[in-house]
Amino acid sequence: MSILLPIAIGSLFAGAVYLLLRRSVVKLFLGLTLLSHGVNLLIFSMGDGLRRGVPPITAADGTTLPGTTDPLVQALILTAIVISFGILAFILALAYRANQAVKSDDLDDMVTTDRL
Amino acid sequence: MLLWIVLFALVTSPLGLLGRRTPRPLIGWGLAVLPLSLFVLLALQIPLIASGGRLDEAVPWVPAMGLELRFSLDGLGMLFALIITGIGTLIVGYAGAYMANDAGLGRFLVYMFLFMGAMLGVVLAGNILTMFVFWELTSITSYLLIGYKHDYPDARRGAQQSLLITGIGGLALLLGLLILAAAAQQVGVSVADSYRFDALIAAGEQIRQTALYAPAVALIFLGCFTKSAQFPFHFWLPGAMQAPTPASAFLHSATMVKAGIYLLARLSPALGETLLWNGTLVAVGGFTFVFGSIVAFRQYDIKALLAYTTLSMLGGLVMMIGLGGKYGAEAVVTGILAHALYKSSLFMVAGIIDHEAGTRDLNKLGALRRYMPITMVVTAIALLSQMGIPILMGFVSKEWMLKAALESSLPAPWPLVALVALVIGAVGYIIAAWRLFRNAFLGEPSPTVQKHHLVDPKWSMLLSPAVPSALSLILPLGLLPAVSSLLSPAASAVYGAPFTFELYLYREVNTALLISLGVIAVGALFATQQQRLAAHKIIASIDGAVVFDKMIEGLLAFATGMTRMIQSGRLRTYLLYVVLVFMLFVGTPFVAYGLDDIRFVLDENLRFYEVVITALIPISVIATIAARSRLGAIIAIGVAGAMVALIFVLFSAPDLALTQLLIEVLSTVFLLFVFSVLPSRFASLSPAWVRWRDAVIATVFGVMMALLVLATSSNTDFPSLAPWFLANSLSEGKGANVVNVILVDFRGFDTLGEITVLFIAVLGIYGLLRFRRVKPDERASGRDAQTIMPGEDLNL
Repeated sequence: MSILLPIAIGSLFAGAVYLLLRRSVVKLFLGLTLLSHGVNLLIFSMGDGLRRGVPPITAADGTTLPGTTDPLVQALILTAIVISFGILAFILALAYRANQAVKSDDLDDMVTTDRL
Repeated sequence: MLLWIVLFALVTSPLGLLGRRTPRPLIGWGLAVLPLSLFVLLALQIPLIASGGRLDEAVPWVPAMGLELRFSLDGLGMLFALIITGIGTLIVGYAGAYMANDAGLGRFLVYMFLFMGAMLGVVLAGNILTMFVFWELTSITSYLLIGYKHDYPDARRGAQQSLLITGIGGLALLLGLLILAAAAQQVGVSVADSYRFDALIAAGEQIRQTALYAPAVALIFLGCFTKSAQFPFHFWLPGAMQAPTPASAFLHSATMVKAGIYLLARLSPALGETLLWNGTLVAVGGFTFVFGSIVAFRQYDIKALLAYTTLSMLGGLVMMIGLGGKYGAEAVVTGILAHALYKSSLFMVAGIIDHEAGTRDLNKLGALRRYMPITMVVTAIALLSQMGIPILMGFVSKEWMLKAALESSLPAPWPLVALVALVIGAVGYIIAAWRLFRNAFLGEPSPTVQKHHLVDPKWSMLLSPAVPSALSLILPLGLLPAVSSLLSPAASAVYGAPFTFELYLYREVNTALLISLGVIAVGALFATQQQRLAAHKIIASIDGAVVFDKMIEGLLAFATGMTRMIQSGRLRTYLLYVVLVFMLFVGTPFVAYGLDDIRFVLDENLRFYEVVITALIPISVIATIAARSRLGAIIAIGVAGAMVALIFVLFSAPDLALTQLLIEVLSTVFLLFVFSVLPSRFASLSPAWVRWRDAVIATVFGVMMALLVLATSSNTDFPSLAPWFLANSLSEGKGANVVNVILVDFRGFDTLGEITVLFIAVLGIYGLLRFRRVKPDERASGRDAQTIMPGEDLNL
């Protein structure tokens, strides 16, 4: 794999961390989205090599082409994509309710009483 | 039998709950049958022990690791077990009468019985790990008993102090014992035997040669000194006087605080006879002896006075173990017996005075001789024993202590140090004892005394202090040969080789006797001046408790400060710490060791559109961050998602691409819906320096992740699982699409978990969106209007 994909992964992580550190709920949501993209690509790059045109599908007799790509990381990512979608949808609903309640998307307007 | 004795004491402890019933004195003496039966059972073994025999029982658990439940009974264990069950019998009966009006007697007795079982376990254990378990159990039961009156802050404070101090000591002790076993294994003791007391004692000489000896001894000292309240860990013992008097009499004078003495005595044949061992014990014990006895006579609370003489005596016993030799061993066991008798009696008398007069303050008492003559006689005998006046048990004990110092074979300064400490301490004992007696029983009655209608208590209460007090007198007068035959095997266990000795009251005029008489004379002289001495400013105690409290306060303040800093209640602070810690703990080793693994491989088949697709990801990330409007941000992040999907398409992952695209579309629809109700433009909330700081952290993090990917993709340490899945997909899972087969078959539980997460998320979303209106006055109290709970609408 060339140097391009690591750069893309790094930029996704950097952008995610920056957005997660903001005060706006919306930016928090955007950061989480980028984070899940970054993690998925990270797992993708952990397989035994990225190759073109050799999806992990067997022939009718059970044989595969030489150099068929790693199916395990794909299965893991598939699970991860769906779970992160569930979480993001939940956060969206939370942001929606919080906006209704405090008329703001600033996290600092939602301080709780459990301070020391 | 030994296992059953310990089990019996522990299992019958719930019977203490009978103490809820009335009449309590009767219940108390009825329950006293439990320890009494154990006492009788143990006493029946005296002939066996006296003839040099011993009992051994073991229940193996993991023999290969030396884990077993082993109990053994020898002379030393017998002496302690008899004191525990004997005094225990009296205390349980006494508690019933003393706490006749206390509804908590049931709970109290349960703790007492539990403690008794634990303490029996300590002195009967034949395996250091078995002993340690019971050792810790005594700390816990002691904590419960000190904190018995838990609605008083002082009781809670005393309980906490004792638990922390003995708890820290317990940890040190465990470490010391493990090191000791490791040392034994080094010199050829098998693992299975290396935790047994007898094996350790047999291998003692070689263990003392190993490098592990010094750390093991230091840690064991720490454990024993904290448990037995040696200076500078002494301060928890006066604090422990918050316990009800029966508990103080039992735990904090006769038994638990002697656990440290017991262990030192038990291990002295294995670890003794070195300068480290003997010197430390004489120095620490001697200082504690003098310190306790001097601080004691300043006290005006009777229990505090007794507590300080107790810790002084514990110091004396430690010193005797340090002196070593046959006389040292004899003095230790005699001292333990004499002290247990007179001190438990004195504590119970203190309880009686407190119970009858309503105060233990020596300044508020006086002339009790007129009202409580029998109590006075009991007290007088016990106090005379403490003073070391001839024909009492305390005299015999002091005589042997002096002899141990005079006959010690230690190098030059130590015997003299011990002798000086003994003389000064003994004078202090006389002053303290006289002060107690003079202020409580003699003189003119104080207003407090006149106000109460004082009489001797009933025999149900008086019997308990009377018995040990009488024994202090009877034992030396008529039963010294019998006592000697009991103490000889105990002293043999401390000395390490069997021998016998004879206690006697008077044989000839010798140095020890002369010193003893001189001490009495000097003590009597000082005792007449006790008021003036007690008021003397110079004899101010070094209050260890204050130092300890400051330490605990400091620790709490530090913890609170840390918590305030980390637990700010703001999500971004938590995330910031998580990211920084991750960078520290992953980044540092990576920079130190992993940089060589980074491979910059250029793919020669790289197509133009691949470069464009991959390059669009960082661009869209920057666009997302920089977007001023929400719509712009949605478009930018949609591009990023689409590019990820395209990467899946390019690199042989059609299923991922399909799913990613589908989810991307759904997300965008949801986003548009939610964002439509929010303000359309972002506000700049953070100050510029915070944004710059976060940008730097984020960039460093991103670069680190990119380098990590470069480094790990060259990793070939582990074989890939891919070939197995590819080969078995059709035959085992009946499917040609390997990814799908993995999801529904090979790793079906992952998918089940995924569905569960989705289901929970759906429930949560449903809950958030459904409950719309809650009236403000229906909210739980204690939260202000800033608190948002799911489903609450505060602007109603």
